[in-house]
Amino acid sequence: MEYVLLYTEGTDPQPYDPAEDHIGEWVADTIERGISEWGERLRPGQDATTVKVRDGKVLATEGPYTEAREWVGGFDVINAADLDEAIEVAAKHPAAIFGTAEVRPFVVWPDAAPGYTVVPEGFHLREAKGQRYVLFVCVDPDGEKDGEGDVEAWVEEMDGRGVRLFGDVLRPPADATLVRNRGGKVLVTDGPFSEAKEWIAGFDLLEVSGLDEAIEVAAKHPMARGGQLVLTPVWPFDPMGDQVARAEGEASDRDRRTEPAVGGTR
Amino acid sequence: MVATLIRVTGDWDVAEDAASGAFERALTTWARDGVPRTPGAWLTTTARNLALDRLRRHGVETGKLRDWSMMEDARGHAGDDPAELTVADPEWDDRLRLVFTCAHPALPLESRVALTLRTVGGLTTPEVARAFLVSEPTMAQRIVRAKAKIAHAGIPYRVPPPEALPERLDAVLAVLYLIYNEGYAASSGEALQRLDLAAEAIRLTRLLVGLLPDDEARALLALMLLQHARSTARTDAAGDLVPLEEQDRTRWNGPEIAEGLAVLAGATGLAGTAPGRRGPYRVQAEIQAVHALAPTAADTDWRAILARYDELPATPVVELNRAVAVGMADGPGAGLALLDALATSGELDGHHLLPAARADLSRRDGRVGDAVRFYREAIGLAPTGPERRYLERRLASLAGAAESTP
Repeated sequence: MEYVLLYTEGTDPQPYDPAEDHIGEWVADTIERGISEWGERLRPGQDATTVKVRDGKVLATEGPYTEAREWVGGFDVINAADLDEAIEVAAKHPAAIFGTAEVRPFVVWPDAAPGYTVVPEGFHLREAKGQRYVLFVCVDPDGEKDGEGDVEAWVEEMDGRGVRLFGDVLRPPADATLVRNRGGKVLVTDGPFSEAKEWIAGFDLLEVSGLDEAIEVAAKHPMARGGQLVLTPVWPFDPMGDQVARAEGEASDRDRRTEPAVGGTR
Repeated sequence: MVATLIRVTGDWDVAEDAASGAFERALTTWARDGVPRTPGAWLTTTARNLALDRLRRHGVETGKLRDWSMMEDARGHAGDDPAELTVADPEWDDRLRLVFTCAHPALPLESRVALTLRTVGGLTTPEVARAFLVSEPTMAQRIVRAKAKIAHAGIPYRVPPPEALPERLDAVLAVLYLIYNEGYAASSGEALQRLDLAAEAIRLTRLLVGLLPDDEARALLALMLLQHARSTARTDAAGDLVPLEEQDRTRWNGPEIAEGLAVLAGATGLAGTAPGRRGPYRVQAEIQAVHALAPTAADTDWRAILARYDELPATPVVELNRAVAVGMADGPGAGLALLDALATSGELDGHHLLPAARADLSRRDGRVGDAVRFYREAIGLAPTGPERRYLERRLASLAGAAESTP
């Protein structure tokens, strides 16, 4: 079964210690076991941009619907035998040691092509050609009621333009499982990471020329009217590198928005 | 039987429908042809055939189904006549799997409890709904959602591997103890005790111990038995609470106490508990054993009880019980000082047990004014009628004395 692990601060974050961040071992282990499909670290919440279309107008605002620091800080798509294996893998990830990992299964489509995986085979060989954003597709009860539209057509258009790399729909929050690792003890609880009325229903990885194009792509998604879309830039790093040196180098722009300013109607 | 069907079909609803279908068929077939030599095997095979039919009708040709057919073929009894079947079924394995699946920590706690009672315990949905004082549709929906999560989130149907077993067994024991506690001291309603739930929890824990003789599982069974042995003495004819001190100890259930003590003795030093680690259920069971072994309330070895409370993790409720034990061992003043500190911490705000304990130790210390004040506070917070009436009786017996106090 395919799951996404969504990494957040959670309700009881532990002080981050880069010397204890053994992400390289996790990546090597999950690749060797054939569990890992793809993962990305994401820029902090202040770099997220929320896109909605209301009354035909595109609204772009800075930050997600949660507190910025509570937003998703990274994800991995994994292929595990069952939930127990997904929990075991999630619990070893540094994000579960310092924060919380939410395990969400993908929707299994009855008409999926044989051998379909969320992340296309050989994706890791693809060279990045533009700026990558994760487009989180979120349900919002305050969205426009007639916001339903043809997601398939959007996917077809964006795949054709080469701006959508992969993505899929997640099972709802009721099927989510939270995993934390505190001193080697694995804590498993039910429920999504956020109690907000909005929730993540799926995501796509985009590769675009910049934030403007990302907003344009997001605004065309039917859920921009029915819900909201949260664009979060990826934050690449070398998992096999020295995490202490990385953390020092990043200290200066960790807390400020590095994305272009947005606001209001376009 | 349902447990076996869930394993072979991988579908909880198909399994349950097939099981009830088999029972219906048994009623007509057995009335006509007589009861077969192996009724259990007859039912299991009939239910398997029904499940297989249904899955085939739905065009399901899952790997599960193929494996099953192959397994049946290999055994040489894929035939449709259940009367031919005499084989012992792998019920043991399946029930243990079911216990772990129902208590999976990825499910909401209330769903784990409901699913365990419904699927492992075999209670009907209306019975589970009544036990937890929720409407039938609410309970039915809770169970449906839990089953949906098992399917959609990929919660496996198996006994966890050794490295995950201790933590997952803890989760199973927590569910069983929760069911027991709801039976022992209902959280709401007019009845103090719900013996059906307590008895059900004991039955399920006995089943678990039979399947997996873990030290803490046995200790939990002992704890339940030792507490349950007092259940008839715990209420009077009117259904009101009789505190431990005033209980007629001849009304305690001797065989249950004997079994509890024997299980506890047998739990010592068994595998499953690391050397030097005494699990919380074992410590709590030992506290109950001290009570069970005291011929009268005055003979209670409060020092031994206090030593056990010192071993338990210091949660607010443990602190409360420890303070009461201190009050009984070292005098009410010492216990009251601890309870005052606990009250200041605010951790048990809104819980009737704290003012009730303060009232009791104040009464023993001759501080009538304080006792009256605390009884009144406790009465306002008591969750069930019997507990409220007990506190009111205590208050009434003090009232005269309180008026004469300046």
